[in-house]
This record gives sequence, structure tokens and C-alpha cells, in this order.
Amino acid sequence: MYKETTSSKIVKWSLIGISIAFVVLMLLLPLITVIAEAFKQGFDIYAKAVSDNYTTKAIWLTLEATLLAVIINTVFGLSAAWSLTKFQFKGKKILTTLIDLPVTVSPIIAGLIFLLTFGRQSPIYPLLQDWDIKIVFAVPGIVLATIFVTFPFISRELIPVLEARGNDEEEAAALMGAKGWTIFRKITFPHIKWAFLYGVVLCAARAMGEFGAVSVISGHLRGKTNTLPLHVEILFNEFQYVPAFAVSSILVMLAIVILIARSVIEYRGRKKI
Amino acid sequence: MYVELKNINKHFGNFKASDNVSFGIEKGKLIGLLGPSGSGKTTILRMIAGLENPDSGEIIIDGKVINNVPASKRGIGFVFQSYALFRYMTVFENIAFGLRVLKKSENEIKERVAELVKLIGLEGLENRYPSQLSGGQRQRVAFARALAPNPQLLLLDEPFAAIDAKVRQELRHWLKEMIAKLGVTSIFVTHDQDEAIEVADEIIITNKGRIDQIGKPLDVYSKPKTAFVASFFGQPSIFKDYNKFHSFDTIPNVDQAIVRPEFVKVTKKNEVQKFKNSAEEGVVTDVAFRGSGIEITVLVNGETLTARRSFDEPSISVGEKVDVFIYRLFVTVGNYAFLLENKSIREPIVVI
Amino acid sequence: MKRTNRSVIPGFGLTTGITLAILGVVVLIPLASLVVFTAQMSFDEIIETITRDRVLSSFRVSFTTAFIASFINAVMGIILAWVLVKYTFPCKRLIDGMIELPFALPTAVAGIALTALTADTGLVGGFFAKFGIKIAFTQIGITVALVFIGIPFVVRAVQPVLEKLDPAYEEAAGVLGASRSRIFWKVIFPEIVPAALTGFGLAFGRCLGEYGSVVFIAGNKPFETEIAPLIIMSELQEYDYASATTIALVMLVASFVTLFLVNLIQTRNTKILKGGA
Repeated sequence: MYKETTSSKIVKWSLIGISIAFVVLMLLLPLITVIAEAFKQGFDIYAKAVSDNYTTKAIWLTLEATLLAVIINTVFGLSAAWSLTKFQFKGKKILTTLIDLPVTVSPIIAGLIFLLTFGRQSPIYPLLQDWDIKIVFAVPGIVLATIFVTFPFISRELIPVLEARGNDEEEAAALMGAKGWTIFRKITFPHIKWAFLYGVVLCAARAMGEFGAVSVISGHLRGKTNTLPLHVEILFNEFQYVPAFAVSSILVMLAIVILIARSVIEYRGRKKI
Repeated sequence: MYVELKNINKHFGNFKASDNVSFGIEKGKLIGLLGPSGSGKTTILRMIAGLENPDSGEIIIDGKVINNVPASKRGIGFVFQSYALFRYMTVFENIAFGLRVLKKSENEIKERVAELVKLIGLEGLENRYPSQLSGGQRQRVAFARALAPNPQLLLLDEPFAAIDAKVRQELRHWLKEMIAKLGVTSIFVTHDQDEAIEVADEIIITNKGRIDQIGKPLDVYSKPKTAFVASFFGQPSIFKDYNKFHSFDTIPNVDQAIVRPEFVKVTKKNEVQKFKNSAEEGVVTDVAFRGSGIEITVLVNGETLTARRSFDEPSISVGEKVDVFIYRLFVTVGNYAFLLENKSIREPIVVI
Repeated sequence: MKRTNRSVIPGFGLTTGITLAILGVVVLIPLASLVVFTAQMSFDEIIETITRDRVLSSFRVSFTTAFIASFINAVMGIILAWVLVKYTFPCKRLIDGMIELPFALPTAVAGIALTALTADTGLVGGFFAKFGIKIAFTQIGITVALVFIGIPFVVRAVQPVLEKLDPAYEEAAGVLGASRSRIFWKVIFPEIVPAALTGFGLAFGRCLGEYGSVVFIAGNKPFETEIAPLIIMSELQEYDYASATTIALVMLVASFVTLFLVNLIQTRNTKILKGGA
């Protein structure tokens, strides 16, 4: 690197200035706004809003949907990563494309397709009715939509790591007669541990925050099919600003936890390699 | 024959990796599979191991056709090119892995691993991770890991490729000794002719998916049967019309003549040389120092030849006119190679 | 699906089976039902729906705001990536971590926060209101929300490219006597353009479909601040599934085309870098 000149210093600090201003204005200020608005009328009002019955129910539903989405996507992500990186087969490219497809679909459309599949006008609706299965405007629909929008989040973290590493170690273990589960647990998993955690964190972040898709499929039944983001919407639209921001502050805190977890995982993961 | 391949064919898409490959290996031998990259040598090794399956043909180990025996049941030890050591396991756990799969008792495992660690001379490093070992040490661990379950056949894929030149030399000797001591039938793949000649009891030369020649290192080197083998070894100078050089028999339909450096004698004009009369004049175009001597490039009759001289001989400089005598050369007709001796060697020397 | 070559590694049947089963239930069947549903509609019906004035204007609002927001993000993304890779300054790690906030913060929260901030009574909105500029409940507000959503895309696309850029490369140009600005425009900029375009495309695709953060700040006035996803939503609330599906289809096609172009840029770029034809 060559020496800094005065003009390059000006460029440097003005670029840094622009960047910091942008981040503060676009990212930090909204965060502060949420907290400030939440506590506008004092801590008591805040505490009441957060501990409200509907809020607690929304928290539980959000956690339930997030947990299920993470579990299903974990099973899917690990299976897909194993299948796509350990074997050569026809149709692999198409499969990869299909897995990535959901993130390119607008959340609203994601909700819509589940509505069309399981809703009133669907050919299988009578069947579902006979068996007394409710999907649309019910918890299963919310879970399905959440899985859809976070679908590739775990697999796409794992696949590049496994691809870059090759299959030598697994082949060596298999040659010595190790079973699939042993190979995965003892040989493969230690390599993908951090990437996997990273994917889980991203998946959880998106799952708990999903709004559009869940909004379409939930039917907005307060206390029954309301997740936290939907609860925020209802409160906001009812001009209950303080409760809306109070509930939001829970999500802000979760988001900050996720950001910190993400940084830590990224740092640990890098160090390990 | 302990290991036998019969009419093996293998395709990868349009690429023919094995073209009717057949050969046999005796028990206890150390075999080198030698060939340029893409010649199908690694494919053969991987098929024996069960990592790939032949399209047709039979693989027989110890009298049994093992085509349908899963890789893990073939009783084979495999050393991967990049070693494929388990990076998240210690040296001990790496070597113990195969034994654990066989559900050996903890005592047995400890004993066997200790024995192997001693054999490879890495005592005290059992608790290190592969990343904390040098290239040569990793290779030894890979070797021990493959040997731990007592395989009847050991396969090594380019075992020295990832090691730097100096350590490589040492490891070659070590491996040869080790395998001789253990008496385990072994096959290793290499693209390095020196390595194959130095280490192997017998060399199998692969070319474009076919087996070109099988034999003892010296035989394969000095009596090549095919055009490919003749040109593969040494540092050959290859040209078309060998009749430019006199005193060689003329045979019809020759495609190429191949001259190795040790076939050529370059002498200064004032030096005494037995076959001076049959020598031809050449001009030195390059003189290069090699570790083992001096390499001289000469232009004779419009062809460029390479020859060697020792450091003890009088020095030769670029541009100097010299006498060049060719003792023998290989000529190829179609796929076959023949050795031609310079006739003047057999003729009585006429002293004027 | 058939394996072209048997592998020694176990688990092909199991993992591929699970993959296909979950993919089928979660992605393929729902997407297929969209196709089935569309197939039942007549062509005239489709044309009639998407040429409604209100729908057309929503497309226009969606595309222009998404484009402007992605463009702002492309410029800011390059600057941010540059600052984060090339300079050291206090709080750098914090800024770097903040970039990811739009991925972590639920869009609805971002939506109401930006609305509160940019409304006439808000901190930023109040400032601009003095000059007669309204942000919330206008297309400017939509753009602001989309800028927020799209921040990480360009930064995270350009950052690795800048990190991998060999310093010797710049130094070589410096030794040859090129001025700093010349080095940037002639040497570095061409290197980061494909990555920036990729980030732009991804951000654009995301912005087109964005709903949560926009719905609050937009005000949702027909012909003015109504975006396409919002029209879909209101059609659904009126149980007009046919119209909703038709509009969704147009948006899907748009995002697939965007994705296709992004892939095209990426393949071309890797080809150039690898030296292939």
C-alpha cells in the first residue's frame, strides 16, 4: 500500500461519513424509534402491553411456528445437503433450482399458493373436511407457510461447505465399513457444525419475523392464529401505537440476539477452519 | 494370482476410462500402476476398492469374484491421495476408527493402535490432530489407518503426490520397507516414472484406458513393447526420419524414432571415442547443469538430441562443434516399439 | 431419480427420499396448485384482470419504487462494502453487523418503525415536512422501506469480491503511474460491477415482492401508493382468488426473469474469471 495523500484522506473520511450516516439513519434510527415509542408512556404501560393475554398467545404461536420450521428445515437441509453433495444423479441441477425457488417468491404469493392448495376452492378441500383437518386459517397453514419462506435457509449454508471439502473422508470411513449415521455423526457433522448453526439462526430469524405469507394464510384470528408480527399489525391498525411498539420491541430484542449470535457463529466458524 | 482383473470396461459419460483391462497380481507383491493423468490408473484402483463399479468384466480377489461385494466388505485398506484423514479426530482416533467399526474391545484397540503408531514412528503424537502434523507424518497416519484392520490388500492412490520432494524420497524407501516387512499385497498409483521404478516390484503401465505393458521395472524401462511405453520413460528426443543417422538397420513403415539421453554419446573433437568414425558432427545449442551431471542439447542432422556428461569430463560450451554417437534407438511401427542397435558397435573397429 | 454411479457412501435412498418428500409437500404441490388454478382461467379473463387501471398502476408503483430503491442500494452498497473492506475506523465491526439487520428484524416491525419515523410527526418526517416534502404515505415512503429491506444484498455481494481483490493488482496499476481515481474506475470498478449487478438483481427481486414493511408506510391509496402485493392481498380479502392468482402470476414471472438475469450475469462473470469461452 502506498502513502495516503491529503485528497485520499478526504475521500476516505467522507466515504466513512456517508456510510455511518446511512447506517444510522436507515438502520439504527428505526431501532431506536421502536424502543422510544414502546416506552413513551412509561414502563407500566409497556409491561402491561407485553404481558397482555393476546401478546403471550402470539409469542407462543410464533415460537411454535419458528421451532417447527427450524426442525423441518433441519431435517430437509441435512438430507438435501447429503443427497446433493455425496452422490451424482440425474436431475440434480433441477433439484437445486427447485430448492432455491421459495426465496424468490413474494411472501404474499407464498401464502396464496397454500390458500389455493388447501383452501375452500381446492379439490382436496372436501377430503380435508371429511377428516376434519384444518390447514388454512389455522396453525398448520401458518407452519407450512413459514417452512416455505425459510425453505432453503439451512441447506444452502451446508451445501457449499460440503462441496468445497469433497467426499474423501466419508469414502474412507465407508470403506472401513462405517454405517451412514456413524459417518454423518463422527465425520461430516463436525465440519458443518458452524454452517449448520448459522443456517438455523437465519432460518429462525426469518421464521419468527415472517409477515406476508402468514398474513395471507392466518385469517387473523386474534388469540388463535396471530403470530407476533400479525399482532403488531392489528395493534398498529387499531391506532394502539404504544402496545404495537411494545410488542415490536420483543421482536427487536430477538433480532439483536440473532445478530449477535450470527456474528459469534461466523467468527467461531472462521476460526475453526 | 491373488488379485485378478478380467476384461474390465468402464465409461464416464463418453470418456472410456478402462478399455478391456486384464491383469493379475501375485500375493505379497508391491505393484505400481503407472501412467499419465487421464490414463485410467486411478479408475482401476477405485474399482478394485469398490469405490467405482466396472460396466463389465470381473474383479477377483483371492479366488472370489467381488464385483457385487460392497467396498466395506472387501477387506481392503485404501490410502487416499490427499490422505482423507478425519480432520476432527486425533491420530489415535483416526487409526482406531476402522477397529471401532469392527467393534473391537477397547483393550484390543489400544494395543493395535500403539503397535501401529510405533511402526510408523509417531510415538508421542497420538493426541495431535491431522492439521498439527507435517505432510510426511500425515501420510504415515493414513498408512497406519488403512492397515489397522489388517487388510489383505493395500491400495494407495498417488501416495507421495502431496509431499515435497525431499521428504518424498525418504518416504518412498520407508514405504517399500514397511510393505516388504508386513508382506501385504499392495498396489499404488503414480504418474511419476522414477517413483514407480524405485518402489514397485512390478509396474503396470496404463495408457488411454488400456494396459500397455506389465513387467519388472528394469524390463519395462529397457524393453518397451509399445510406442507409448518407449516414449514415456526417460527424457526422450523424438523425431521422424532416423535414416539421417547412419549405421542403423532400415525397417519399413517406421513412424518415429525415440532416443533417450543415455543412448547418446557426445564428445569433444579432441577427445578419444571408440566409435569416432561412426560419429556425426553436431552443434551444441544448450548446456545445463542438473543435479546428477550436465545435460547437453545438440543439433545433429537437423534433429535436436539430449545427452548427458559427467562433471568430471572436459567442459563443453554452447556453439561448440562436437561428435555425436548414437548407441541405439527405439523405432515405432504403429503401436509397437523395436530396439535398433548401432551396427558399428558390432563391427570390428578400423584403426587408420 | 437414478444415480449414474453407485457410491460407497450410504444414505442415497433415504436422504433423497426425505428431500423429495418435503420438497413435494412444501414447494411442488403448492406451486402446482397455482398452475392448476391458472389453467382453469381463460386467457381473456387473465388479460382483463391485469389490464385493469388499478392493477396496472400498482405494477407501475411496484416496479419504479423497487427499481429506484435497488439503485440507491447498489450505490450505497458499493460505498459501504468499500468502506468496510478498505478502511479501518471505530465501530467498524458494529456497522458490519448492523448491515444484516434487515434480515433479522421482522418486516412488520421495520414497517411501523419507518412509518413512525417518517410521518409528519416523526423525527425525520417532521424535518422534511418543513420543506413541504412528505415521506410516509407517498411513493418516497415506499422507496425508503424498500431501501431498508434491500441494504444487505449489494453489500454482501460486493464485499467478498473486494476482499479477494489482490492488492498487488492495485499496486501494479499504481506503479504504472495511474492516478487513484483512474485505478478505481479502470481497475477495481469493472471487477465489482458483476457482483453489484447480482446484488442489485437480488434486491430488486426481493423489493418487488416485499409486503410487510411497505404496507404500513405506503398508505395504500389506489393509483398512488398501492403496490402489487397489496392488490393481491385485497383481492384475497374479497375472496376473488382468480384475480389474485393472475396478478401473482405476473409478479412470479417478473421475479423469475430477474433471477434468470442474475444467474446469467453470474455465469458470464465466472466464465470471464476462469478464462473459459
